[in-house]
Amino acid sequence: MTWYEPHADWTYADRRLIVTRCIVLWILMGFIVIDFVVFTFVFSPAWAWGAGAALLLGAWFTWIVYRGVTAHAWAEREDDLIVKRGRLFRSVTVVPYGRMQFVEVSAGPLARAFKLATIQLHTASPGTDATLSGVRAQDAETLRDRMTARGEARLAGL
Amino acid sequence: MTSPVAGPAHTPVYTAPREWTRVHPISPYLGTGPILGFVAIYFLARNLPAWVAGGNEEFEALDQVPFVWLSLGVIVVIAAIIGFGVLSWRRNEFRIGDDAMYHRKGILFRQHRQARLDRIEAVDVVQPLLARIFGLAQLNVQVAGGKGSGIDLQYLRLGDAEALRNEVLALSAGATLSKTTAPDAVPTLGAEGEPSVGPASIRDLANHLGETNPVTAVPAAPERDVYKVPTGRLLGSIALSTPTFMVALGAVAVVVAAVFLGSRVGEAILAFVGTSLFAIIGFLAAIFGYFWNQINGGFQFTAATSEDGLRLRHGLLETRRQTVAPGRVQAVLVSQGVLWRSRGWYRITMNVAGYQEDQQRVNTLLPVGTIDDVLLALRLVLPQVSDESLAAVVTGRGADGGFTGAPRRARLLDPFQWRRRGVQAGEHALFIRGGWLTHELAVVPHERTQSLGVSQGPVQRVRHLASLVVHSTPGPVRPVAANLDADAALDLLDQQAERARAYRALGRA
Repeated sequence: MTWYEPHADWTYADRRLIVTRCIVLWILMGFIVIDFVVFTFVFSPAWAWGAGAALLLGAWFTWIVYRGVTAHAWAEREDDLIVKRGRLFRSVTVVPYGRMQFVEVSAGPLARAFKLATIQLHTASPGTDATLSGVRAQDAETLRDRMTARGEARLAGL
Repeated sequence: MTSPVAGPAHTPVYTAPREWTRVHPISPYLGTGPILGFVAIYFLARNLPAWVAGGNEEFEALDQVPFVWLSLGVIVVIAAIIGFGVLSWRRNEFRIGDDAMYHRKGILFRQHRQARLDRIEAVDVVQPLLARIFGLAQLNVQVAGGKGSGIDLQYLRLGDAEALRNEVLALSAGATLSKTTAPDAVPTLGAEGEPSVGPASIRDLANHLGETNPVTAVPAAPERDVYKVPTGRLLGSIALSTPTFMVALGAVAVVVAAVFLGSRVGEAILAFVGTSLFAIIGFLAAIFGYFWNQINGGFQFTAATSEDGLRLRHGLLETRRQTVAPGRVQAVLVSQGVLWRSRGWYRITMNVAGYQEDQQRVNTLLPVGTIDDVLLALRLVLPQVSDESLAAVVTGRGADGGFTGAPRRARLLDPFQWRRRGVQAGEHALFIRGGWLTHELAVVPHERTQSLGVSQGPVQRVRHLASLVVHSTPGPVRPVAANLDADAALDLLDQQAERARAYRALGRA
């Protein structure tokens, strides 16, 4: 990453996030591939190309997932949190602790199985897109509490 | 019930209630539902004789039912409407406390809301035409906290609404200044022997017909008018708006087509009008609605300042008096359409937390004004900035006046706007220019910045460009400085985050 590297302790998203995202991706792609394979045997062998294309597409999406997760990072600075994400369409968001209205921690069943969580920061603006994906579950609670405490110390109303 | 006594010495005084109080008993029957009900009753009354006579085949089924039953049915329906109204009125109550305003309502699904006084963003007194005739008003209290978090009371006597507004604003100012000491503004009922107005009742209604200037225990903070929009200019601005232009263009096109292509086209148009009459009526209603909203929203538009915030008054049939608490304007947008350029007119819209995005009638700071009005309006939001620098900011384009413009390599991506784009972090606010046919300038005070972002798509990356996004509360202003030099955008992000931090610290101190 050459894009925006100020002096800060960057925490990158946990690599296990790649696994959970790929599981969801490949369950979907798996159904498509199986469909094409069945068609190959039932109708004509030409459908095999479809299965191949689906596999290639899946591989490409896997690469995108890998690139996306490895580009996602955040850094806690003294007064604000910086979140960066994306490779092709990339963005950096700076959220001051004093502007946080509330912090939301969530984890789906798959994420829980891999001990991951998602933290979402809400400000008074709907445009604030500050979601931390792939936070280690044991860190999530402490991170939330730390941010809430800092938010209270720096609360600036609106 | 004390009826108002004539004479200045015994003018009854309105106060905001500290204990649970119901809204005006007429309220349930002033909405649109009951009006539809009355239309239905009128329709019934007109057609009933014909049905009873049995002349109309469509209603033959009704002839099977005896007249007595029919009448009973109608009476039951009317009784149900009135009964439901009484029930919903009994369960629609409000009061104010030292820290918050409370409202509860609902028959089956009870709703209990409180608005913390130190979080109040704006208080509006609205008088739709029907309510205005009866001397009633609606009170909308906006608090920060997303859709549906404000309190809407409809309807109160105008005096009750104003008393409530004044006390809420006074308490809110006190609550914001010091949370420990109780504000002195708390009124004591009838302290100087003045009779207080009793609770609202139906019998009382006639006494308040068309009331315009009620006396309240806590007087409204004195206000100073800053600018007014003359009616002539308002009508002119509507005549020079894009919808007028489109309507005129459409009419000219029809006439030209009819003249040059002969009567067959005329017949075709008439046939088209005949077949889709309802669509055309809908279309015309939409156009009429647009123009009506423009006129009604901007009519006699007056902006004023007062101790408890920014005051905006406007309206022809539906009047609205808004009070935006001090420092609650989050961002403003100065815009100038292509047709307004020759006249030098501008419009200003604003973001206020609590007002929703689609509410054009509450989000307008200046419906139409000259550059002088624009400067006055901006000074309301940014009192520290001098006029000369602001004038240059408003009238300049692109990189004029120390702005950072979009580089020439943005032309491919952004052929129309790149010359006009520019961003400058002033001492007190961030200014973002843009627009092509409509020139735009977004102003975000540093201490009002919520969060900031820089984004870059693949084409921008190749051209080494990036866009700076300032996140503001929901509203018509969405400040984006698009297609800046990528390094400049990131530098600005760092600087702006630091500036916003410093100004927030100032605001807290």
